[in-house]
Amino acid sequence: MNPSSDDRWHWLAALREPELAARWSLGEWERVIRLARRLRLLGRLAEALASAGLLDAVPEPAARHLVGERRRARFRTRGLTWAAERVATALGDAAYPRVLLKGAAYIAQELPIGRGRLPSDLDILVPRESIADAQQRLKAAGWREPMLDDHDRRYYHEWSHEVPPMRHRDHGLELDLHHNILPPVARVKVDAALLLAAAHPLRGTAWRGWHVLGPLDQVLHSATHLFHDADLTDRVRDLADLDALLRAGAAREGDAFWPALAARARETGLTAPLALTLWLLPPWFGTPIPPSAQRAAAASGPGRLSRGWLLPALRQVLTPTEPDADPAWARRPAAALLGLRYQLTRMPLTLLVPHAWHKWRHGSDGAMKWDDAPRPMKVGDLKKRAPDRAP
Amino acid sequence: LRDVYRHFPFHPGPGWADLHVDIDRARGLRRWLRPQVVFRCDGQHPFDPFPADSPLPLVEWGANWLIGQRCNDHLLFHAGVVERDGHALILPALPGSGKSTLSAALSLRGWRLLSDEFGALDPANDRLRAVLKPVALKNESIEVIRRWAPDAPIGPLFPKTRKGTVAHLAASPDAVARRHEPALPGAVVLPRWQAGAATQWRRLAPEEVFRALAFNAFNYAVLAEDGFRAAVRIARRCPAWQLVYSELDQAAELLAGEWPAACAEADAGSTADAPPASADRPSAAGASASAAIASSPR
Repeated sequence: MNPSSDDRWHWLAALREPELAARWSLGEWERVIRLARRLRLLGRLAEALASAGLLDAVPEPAARHLVGERRRARFRTRGLTWAAERVATALGDAAYPRVLLKGAAYIAQELPIGRGRLPSDLDILVPRESIADAQQRLKAAGWREPMLDDHDRRYYHEWSHEVPPMRHRDHGLELDLHHNILPPVARVKVDAALLLAAAHPLRGTAWRGWHVLGPLDQVLHSATHLFHDADLTDRVRDLADLDALLRAGAAREGDAFWPALAARARETGLTAPLALTLWLLPPWFGTPIPPSAQRAAAASGPGRLSRGWLLPALRQVLTPTEPDADPAWARRPAAALLGLRYQLTRMPLTLLVPHAWHKWRHGSDGAMKWDDAPRPMKVGDLKKRAPDRAP
Repeated sequence: LRDVYRHFPFHPGPGWADLHVDIDRARGLRRWLRPQVVFRCDGQHPFDPFPADSPLPLVEWGANWLIGQRCNDHLLFHAGVVERDGHALILPALPGSGKSTLSAALSLRGWRLLSDEFGALDPANDRLRAVLKPVALKNESIEVIRRWAPDAPIGPLFPKTRKGTVAHLAASPDAVARRHEPALPGAVVLPRWQAGAATQWRRLAPEEVFRALAFNAFNYAVLAEDGFRAAVRIARRCPAWQLVYSELDQAAELLAGEWPAACAEADAGSTADAPPASADRPSAAGASASAAIASSPR
């Protein structure tokens, strides 16, 4: 199951070196387009080819899909940029820093991995003591919370690292306001003040008023976001982000990058996600990680015992199913194990059991309900608009 | 599926396909209790399952949804499109317009069907591409078309779907054979079926056409400036009418009669402003067109 053992994943290298795509047959293109679209990497592939001037060299039927997906990605990116502008205005002259996270941060920094994304939410981080003020200002600007029962309200207030996601009738995306990158009740406790202290303001007029995390923290947050999530199905995009962030860091800072990254991981308590990243990436992406960095990560990452099941399970779940194939039989148990690990690392059993009991008793279809559903754009109906938000 | 796609070549093995959909029985308990069918595309299940007795509506509806989501290389008007004498007649879908019925009826009287759902305009060359699938007829339309052409190849009836009773009209051999042949936009006609109404034919101003086309398009916002410019070009070039009718015969006769003059007018218009060589490059023609629309009275 090791991705390096076969050449099914060579196409991922074309995200970085689009010249590789010049050799693909039409059959290969068909498979890549189907897979990349599902993995949310098709827009990025299109942008990579376009900036290398190679989009015109792609065979016609494949090129149409690339052009179409690039348009969709640019449309979503415009939506995100606009929402961020409006949020910045709403937060106005508030004295605390507001930090763009993940996709929004990559887009704002004009990183190659920011191009061709399909953002469906805007994630921002503010200091915990300022979150009530931020919420208030956003509400005044028309952002609405979902309708929640008391349990959910308490869940977000006490156990979560973010407030309930907000929506605005003018915007198709969700606004996630965070005060930390992991829940305060999680096994690993992150000191958000450390992250905020290393955040720096963005230059350039379009993103005035916004900060981004320090470069090392961006890597660690990307890894944490991936490996502390409930479902890792089709999350190759996140691995691709990590590959690019690590390569960029090493190119920028040279050999000093790896020890600095490891030191920052120890400082923030995020050694486990970093170790998993450094172990998992090379077979997929050929990321040039020095052996010393891997050894250092192994020393402070998950122990030999948990590594023994964790790595194979992660590889199993992260390996995308071929477009026409049924998922491998081993996927289900692997996903179930990872799901259990997710729950246990996210909150202690003393909280998890009552939470699960409540969710089971009151039923949760997983869908948030807002009291004022977003108004459809112009004449278009909701049906036409809503699917574009689906993953 | 074979019935309503009867004239399409069957495409079993390798070779390019834009869309891969798969329909299968739902597993587990659902195999036995109120069986369902599941729609799958590229390993994902974007929709809720349908009852097992209506797989065809699910395939058709699902494929349309995917086309509307994905084919952003074209500006997708929500419209029926038929062609005659090398020119396309665009029938934008407004509520109650009956564009599917009218497209189906015309396709059985000498017009070539391009689509009953998508007016797929390539903004690079301003040609309409066929998105040829069986025409989905709903409720009373099925009977109307049966009366219109008693031997029309209509597939099985699927009662009680989300949109009422649905049946599919197979595309003609000629339409299938020429499905890769694009058409020049000729005229835009906004149809409105109204019980008992006398046939009315009213000329429309370009800005009315623009609104009917752009604001009903599936991906107008996604295409942004390219979409705006393309819709403006069509609205300026194509003569347009509103057609109110209650009798299909009269409507079809009127359209056939007006067609040569409409095409001549479109040809005269198209020499005035040719599409830009590249959709990405701003063009003087597009810029003046946008100014014209912006300043036109609402």
